[in-house]
Amino acid sequence: MTFEAFAGQTLAGVSLGMVWFLIAAGLSIIFGTLKILNLAHGSLYMLGSFCCYQVTVSLAHVAGNFWIGVLVAPIVVALVGGVIEVFLLRPIYKAEMIYQYILTFALVLIIGEACKMIWGVGYHSVQVPWPFQGSIGVFGLSFPSYNFFLIAMGPLVFIGLRTLINKTDLGRNIRAVTENREMANALGTNVPRVYTGVFMLGAWLAGLAGSLWPPVSVVALGSDMAVVIDCFIIVVIGGLGSLAGAFVGAIILGLTTAFGLYLIPKLAVAFGFILMIIILLIRPYGLMGEPE
Amino acid sequence: MANGMNRISWLGTSPRNAFMLAGLVALLVLLPLFLGQSWLSITTEMLILALAASSLNIMLGYTGMVSFGPAGIYAVGAYTTGVFMEKLGIGIVPAVLAAPVMAGIIGFLVGWICVRRSAVYFALLTLAFSQIIWTVVFQWYSVTGGDDGLVSVPVPDFFFEITNCYYFMLAVVSVCLFIIWKIVNSPFGMTLQAIRENPNRVEFIGVNVKHYQLASFVISSVFLGIAGSMHCVFSGSAFPDYAYWVKSADMLVICLLGGIYNFFGPLVGTVVYTVLTKVISEYTMHWHLVLGGIIVLIILAMRKGVVGTLANYWANRKSAAA
Amino acid sequence: MSNTFKAFGMMLATAALVAVIGLAPTTVLAEKPPIKIGFIHTMSGPISMYGISSAAGAKVAVDEINAAGGVLGRKLELIVRDDKISPDTGLREAKDLVLKEKVDFLAGTISSGVGLAISNYAKRAKKIYLINIAQSTKITEENFHPYVFRFTTNSTPYFGKGPAIALANTYKSKKIIVLGYDYETGKNSLKEFKDTYLKLVPDAKFIDELWVPLGTTDFTAYIAKMANSGADCFYLAAIYGGGELAFTKQAWSFGLYDKMKAVQPCAGDVETWSKVKQGDPYPKDALATCRYPFWAIKGEKNAEFAKKVREMTDLWPAYGALDAYIIMYAIKDAVTKAGSTDTQKVIKAMENLTMDTFVGKIKMRAFDHQAMMPTWYGIMRFTPDLPFPHITDVGELGEDSYHTIEQIKKIRGK
Repeated sequence: MTFEAFAGQTLAGVSLGMVWFLIAAGLSIIFGTLKILNLAHGSLYMLGSFCCYQVTVSLAHVAGNFWIGVLVAPIVVALVGGVIEVFLLRPIYKAEMIYQYILTFALVLIIGEACKMIWGVGYHSVQVPWPFQGSIGVFGLSFPSYNFFLIAMGPLVFIGLRTLINKTDLGRNIRAVTENREMANALGTNVPRVYTGVFMLGAWLAGLAGSLWPPVSVVALGSDMAVVIDCFIIVVIGGLGSLAGAFVGAIILGLTTAFGLYLIPKLAVAFGFILMIIILLIRPYGLMGEPE
Repeated sequence: MANGMNRISWLGTSPRNAFMLAGLVALLVLLPLFLGQSWLSITTEMLILALAASSLNIMLGYTGMVSFGPAGIYAVGAYTTGVFMEKLGIGIVPAVLAAPVMAGIIGFLVGWICVRRSAVYFALLTLAFSQIIWTVVFQWYSVTGGDDGLVSVPVPDFFFEITNCYYFMLAVVSVCLFIIWKIVNSPFGMTLQAIRENPNRVEFIGVNVKHYQLASFVISSVFLGIAGSMHCVFSGSAFPDYAYWVKSADMLVICLLGGIYNFFGPLVGTVVYTVLTKVISEYTMHWHLVLGGIIVLIILAMRKGVVGTLANYWANRKSAAA
Repeated sequence: MSNTFKAFGMMLATAALVAVIGLAPTTVLAEKPPIKIGFIHTMSGPISMYGISSAAGAKVAVDEINAAGGVLGRKLELIVRDDKISPDTGLREAKDLVLKEKVDFLAGTISSGVGLAISNYAKRAKKIYLINIAQSTKITEENFHPYVFRFTTNSTPYFGKGPAIALANTYKSKKIIVLGYDYETGKNSLKEFKDTYLKLVPDAKFIDELWVPLGTTDFTAYIAKMANSGADCFYLAAIYGGGELAFTKQAWSFGLYDKMKAVQPCAGDVETWSKVKQGDPYPKDALATCRYPFWAIKGEKNAEFAKKVREMTDLWPAYGALDAYIIMYAIKDAVTKAGSTDTQKVIKAMENLTMDTFVGKIKMRAFDHQAMMPTWYGIMRFTPDLPFPHITDVGELGEDSYHTIEQIKKIRGK
């Protein structure tokens, strides 16, 4: 492998990993607090993509329409998430795991079909926005500047979330509820409101990822499950419920995928899973997770 | 977690129950007389699916292990039979018999790793393994036919006649269900249910919970392998779809629709699910939406599934009358 | 505790009732029974535009034929079913159509896996099955049987041999790099392309092959490699649909289309590019094949057909629609020639069919039941005529872009 190829794979792997991180972070925070594994998280991501696409189309002649989309779409997704949490998830927190899985699976069906009814089948495209249209040369290799932007987004969001959780009232409440739900409740924390808040935050992150990825790829149905399975791997590698774990896991999976594709494309799809199995066997709760 | 109501019902031995069972068998045996060929074919598919769902339910309902990957093992069964017949030219009898053996072996290997972790990690590990099986099936073109699948498995013409195929499947599925019934109601089965209710307590009284969970995983795999093999015989083909997570989700939904704390739950779930998807997709192209909506309603309103809910209803009426 | 049993019994009774209702005979009032065509296609899910478009094409033909008095005094009746792109569902619908609806013909679908499954059933049920869209050569070569016919190009002219001839006719590139989806169709496409092209342009070199897993949409890392490879042309092996759209966008930001020529076999079909506007990334100046360039075909009949399909579906008329239209006429012609719907007679008639259509004469090749459908090629550009990029300077490929009978004999002999 040449140095150029090495650099190219690394950059590609990390930029993909950073988008995954946004989704996985939401998935992980939701699991950490609500103890629900949200199968529909990929659907929220897809919804974000479609919403962002819609904004770019509706405001086709407005400068910076993509950035408006990035602002608006995650909020729409967060609101949808709020509705889901209040009306559908709240009644089943005490139910067994399987009911929660199947309910979120039903949401996958519903959101997928709703997207199809609203935006139709076919491939939609969102253009690379100003000012990231061109490429930047590094290590003798030219690489799209938008990917550098994505790479930068990961740590930014990570730091933002850390600050939110460690420094704000909402964060304190989240930590309290995550730590000990009954205790937090007894001490006067409004637990249901924290749950809703956390789910909306997770949905917002998925929506953000959904808005940011289309300029690199396409907006199409079916992206929901593809992405959620990758994010499962990430959170399991990193440790369910751990933000730092999601960050590390996303980079690891991004790099594994990029280099796996390069070296043994035939089995690349299985690499992530194999990695996940190995890590689970060595570290039962993931790299950064803690035993429950 | 689960309360007393969730205990799996015993098959009573009262004359009335025996009468019901006889009636059921008679109905199934006579079905070809008044069912059109197309519906008979669908019923045959239902029998196979019901066996698969019941196999999954050994883990799900009886042992309390949520597996996301039954489809992977199901595909192992289907492809074992398919590859043996189409690629190796082996006869149907050994090809079918090999399926549960192969599924059992793979189930043991996968289960051995998966049972080390519990709850959500167990679920995700099973998902990972089934996706790996899917990848192997999808990529190993020379053996599995890759994305096209195996499409010309030389199944004897006897099975192409739907009535023959139906009776054959009815026999196989009945025998398998009977064995599953015996297993789950044996002392071994009782231990599985105790593990579901409270693994720590069972561990405490000196039972090796992991061994029992692994045994449950392997038994479930063996029957899933049979179901997969039957599917291959039925359709004369095997496709990568069989191993895909969507198929696993189908099986889970079926168990849930019928009710997982009930031996008959998966059977009823199969009928409801098949008829539902068929009827809905005849009326609307947006059948995902309707199906999703129905699942949500069931989870919010009748979590014990169709059988469980009806059984409770009867129990309540009886106690009200008494 | 007999409640379980009671509940179960009740469920069973309900199920039986549902089954009986499902069986209720449908009364037929027609004087002469119609000729029924079971049309199985992917009508729901992410790629349902293909099925919807094809069903519209079939419907246009059936309406025309019926308005002109039908076939042998009988009307054609189209029964459309959704295979949900699952071989199992496709198989179930095929059985239902044959057993319950008693159709005379089966037709459809997009996925080769589903197509093979239905084809295998058609063979055992002895029903004629006309492939619409599914491309795998396996259907008419390794897995051939007398009951299957294809009125659609197959992967040979479309992905491999066709683009090679087209490249030799146009850019004549010398240093080619390959990017493909890592599965059988991808590998076969490249093999066909390479073999044909090296015969036509012997001094050309294939400098590298990059393979990605099927379904990948992030090609950034590969494009970086392609851009630095020193090639003067790249060839995409079986990368189509969403993957191709994503690739193009990523290649565009690398400036790949300015660095080298492109061969994107699928780019000519409208499904992928119909929503791409002027100014958006598109396969600039790429050489592409296309199975129905409705804008480049002359004649009123073509314009009328394109307009009808567009009105019915709100989609640009695609090759699926054209092929389904031709299939319906092939049924009409073959049944008329055979004088009945007797399967063996219709097979004989269809084997020797030559049709006059608005895209030219179409001949059925009796040996492999593959219709010699034309494939078009051209250079992808924007013109004022259409809002999306499409092939221009259109050329047409005919029978020489398919496998020869000798080649097929060799493949089947293996």
